[in-house]
Amino acid sequence: MLSCSMPIREAFRLALQSVLGSKLRSFFTLLGIIVSVAFLVAVVAVIQGMNAYVKDTMTGAMIGTNAFQVRRLPIAIGLLSDEELKAIQRRPKLTMDDAEAVRRALPDAQAISIQSGWPTPTSDISHRNNTVGDVMIFGVTPDYQLVLDYRFAAGEPLSDPDIRERRPVAVVGSEVAEKLFGTAERAIGQRVRLAGREMRIKGVTARKGRVLGQSFDGFALIPISTFEAIYGRRLTTTVSVKMRNPEEIAGAMDRAQEAMRLSRHLRPAEVDNFTIDKADALVNFWRRLTKVLFTVIPAVVCIGIVVGGIVIMNIMLMSVNERTREIGIRKALGATRRDIRRQFLIESLVLATLGGIFGVAAGWGLSVVVSQFTPLPARITGWSVAVSLLLGAGTGVTFGVYPAARASRLDPIAALRAE
Amino acid sequence: MSDRVIHVEELVREYPMGGEKVLALRGLTLSIRRNEYVAIMGPSGSGKSTLMNLLGCLDTPSGGDYWLNGQEVSRLTDDALARVRNKEIGFVFQTFNLLPRASALHNVELPLVYAGVGSRERRERAVRALTRVGLQNRMHHRPNELSGGQRQRVAIARALVNEPSLLLADEPTGNLDSTTSEEIMRVFSELHAQGQTIVVVTHEPSIAAHAERVVVLRDGKLDSDTRNRAAA
Ligand SMILES: Nc1ncnc2c1ncn2[C@@H]1O[C@H](COP(=O)(O)OP(=O)(O)OP(=O)(O)O)[C@@H](O)[C@H]1O
Ligand SMILES: [Mg+2]
Repeated sequence: MLSCSMPIREAFRLALQSVLGSKLRSFFTLLGIIVSVAFLVAVVAVIQGMNAYVKDTMTGAMIGTNAFQVRRLPIAIGLLSDEELKAIQRRPKLTMDDAEAVRRALPDAQAISIQSGWPTPTSDISHRNNTVGDVMIFGVTPDYQLVLDYRFAAGEPLSDPDIRERRPVAVVGSEVAEKLFGTAERAIGQRVRLAGREMRIKGVTARKGRVLGQSFDGFALIPISTFEAIYGRRLTTTVSVKMRNPEEIAGAMDRAQEAMRLSRHLRPAEVDNFTIDKADALVNFWRRLTKVLFTVIPAVVCIGIVVGGIVIMNIMLMSVNERTREIGIRKALGATRRDIRRQFLIESLVLATLGGIFGVAAGWGLSVVVSQFTPLPARITGWSVAVSLLLGAGTGVTFGVYPAARASRLDPIAALRAE
Repeated sequence: MSDRVIHVEELVREYPMGGEKVLALRGLTLSIRRNEYVAIMGPSGSGKSTLMNLLGCLDTPSGGDYWLNGQEVSRLTDDALARVRNKEIGFVFQTFNLLPRASALHNVELPLVYAGVGSRERRERAVRALTRVGLQNRMHHRPNELSGGQRQRVAIARALVNEPSLLLADEPTGNLDSTTSEEIMRVFSELHAQGQTIVVVTHEPSIAAHAERVVVLRDGKLDSDTRNRAAA
C-alpha cells in the first residue's frame, strides 16, 4: 500500500500532453510571462552589451587611459538639475592661460593638451572628385595625440610649429585616408579641401575600431589655432592631462584644481568655476543610469509576472473545472489527493516554464534584432536566462498551488456526476 | 477472517437536503462471500447506488460498519480509501467513465499508474486485461472510436487490471441495447467462473438471472435476499 503513488515522470508526461493538447490556449495563457521574460532578457542583454563597450572602448577612445580632463562643464551633464545647469552655464571658457597654469603645476604629466570640445563640428573632405562626408574635425595641440594614444600608420603627428604658425595641415583617421586614397601611405602630402580650406595631410593614424556602430577612424585633427580661425573659440574647449600611472591621477587632479583656482583668482569661499573629470566619469554616469534601469526593470517584470501568474491561475482553475469528471475518474481508480495535486501543480509548472523558455527565446531574438539594426550592442548573460527560467517555474508553482489544491479536494462521487 | 469479502452491519447513509435529511440507507446488514455473484435490484431511489458507492469506498457511511476482507473501512481517511479503491476494488459504471482523450490501453493502465507499477509491467498487464475481455484488436482506439459495448469492455478490463478482490458494477448495461447487454453479462459470467467476486446493480430481471443470488432493496432496507435456482 505504500507504493501507491503516481511516478513523477508520468505526471510530467501528462502535463506536457495536456499543455500541448491546447497549444493556442496555452500560448495566450503564457503571453504575460513570455512578454515579461523577453523584456527582461532583451533589456539586460542590451545593458550588458553597453557595459562591456563603455568599459572596454568608449572611455579609452574618447578620453584616453590614465587621463583626466579640465572642463568648463562636467561630462555627466545629463544628470544635473535645471538650477545646477543654469549656475554652471555662467562659467568662463577654458583658455590657453588655464592650460599653461595646469602645465606648470604638473611637470610630471606625460602629456597636456587643449582641444576643441563637444559638439564636434563635421565637414566634408574632398580630393578632386572624391569626397568623404561628415568627418569630425578636432582642433588640438600635439599632446592630444599622446593623450589618445594614437599610433601612426603613415606620416607624422601635428607639431608645435604647426600650432604656432597656424599651418593648414591635418592628421586624418585611417578610414578617411583609405576612402580618399586607398591606403594610408598614399594620403601623405596630398592636398584636400576641408571646411572650405585647402589643407595638407601630414599623418594618418592607425585603426581604432568602432564603438556603438560609430567609427573612431572617421576624423581629422588640425592645429587648434587653425581650428579657431575657422570655427572660433568654443565654449567647450577642454584641457586633457595624461599621467604615466593610474596611481598618480588622484594627486595630479588635486594639483590641477589648485592651479586652476589660483589662475582664476578664486577666493576660498568661492566654488570652482570649472570641472575636473576622470575618464571614469563617463563610466560612472553610465553606472548610475544602469542602476536606475536595474531598479525599474524588476518592477516592470514583477508586474508582468504577477499578471501572467494570475492568468495562469485562472486558466488552471478553468481547467480543473472542465476536467472535474476526469479528476473523479482518477480518484475512483485510486488517485490520492497528493497524486491529483501533483498532476495539476506539475501541469502549471510545465506551462509556466514553457512560457519562460519562449520568453528567453523571444528576448534573445529581440536582442539579436536590436544589435543588428541599431547601433546598440547586446550581450545575452547566463544569469538573466537563469533568472527568467526560475521566474517562469516559480510563477507556475506559486499560482498553481490553489487550483491544484482545489482539484485534489474534490469529492469523487460529485466529480463523477459532473458533466 | 472468514471468506467473507463484504460484511456491512446496520449501514446508514443520510444526505442533508435543505434543513431535512434524506435517509438513503436505513440500517442495512449484508454479507457477501468470496466468489459470489450477487445482483442488487429494487425500485428507483431505493438506495442501490448509495450502497454501491459505499461498498466501492467512494463514500463513507453516516452510521454502521463496513468490513472489506476483514478490514474495517468505514472510518478511513480520504487517501486511505483511495488506496483501498486502487488495490481491492474494480468499479464499472453505467456511463463507462473512460478518459476520452486516452487510448483504451492507457485507460486500462490508469489504476496501475496509481499503484506505482513500472511502465513495462503496466503495459503487459493492461494488454492481458484487454485480451481477457476480447479487445486485443482495439487497444489503441480512443473511447469515441469504440461502440458502447466495447467501451464497457474497456471499463471492465480497467476494473480487472489490478486483480481486485471485488468487482462492482452499477447498472453496467443501462446504456446498452439488449444484445450488447447479453454480451457484457457473458463477460461477467466468465469472470465469475474464473473465481471473481461480483456485485451488479440492475433493473432487469433478465440481467439479474445471470447472478447466483438476488438482493432486493426497498426504501434503504433489505427487502429480500434469494438464491437463484438456475444460475447462468
Ligand atoms: N447526493 C445526494 N444528495 C441528496 N440525496 C441523494 C443523493 N444521492 C442520492 N440521494 C437520495 O438517496 C435516495 C437513494 O438514491 P440512490 O441513487 O441510491 O437510488 P438508486 O436505488 O440507485 O436509484 P436508481 O435506480 O434510480 O439509480 C434517493 O431518494 C435519492 O434522492
Ligand atoms: Mg442508481
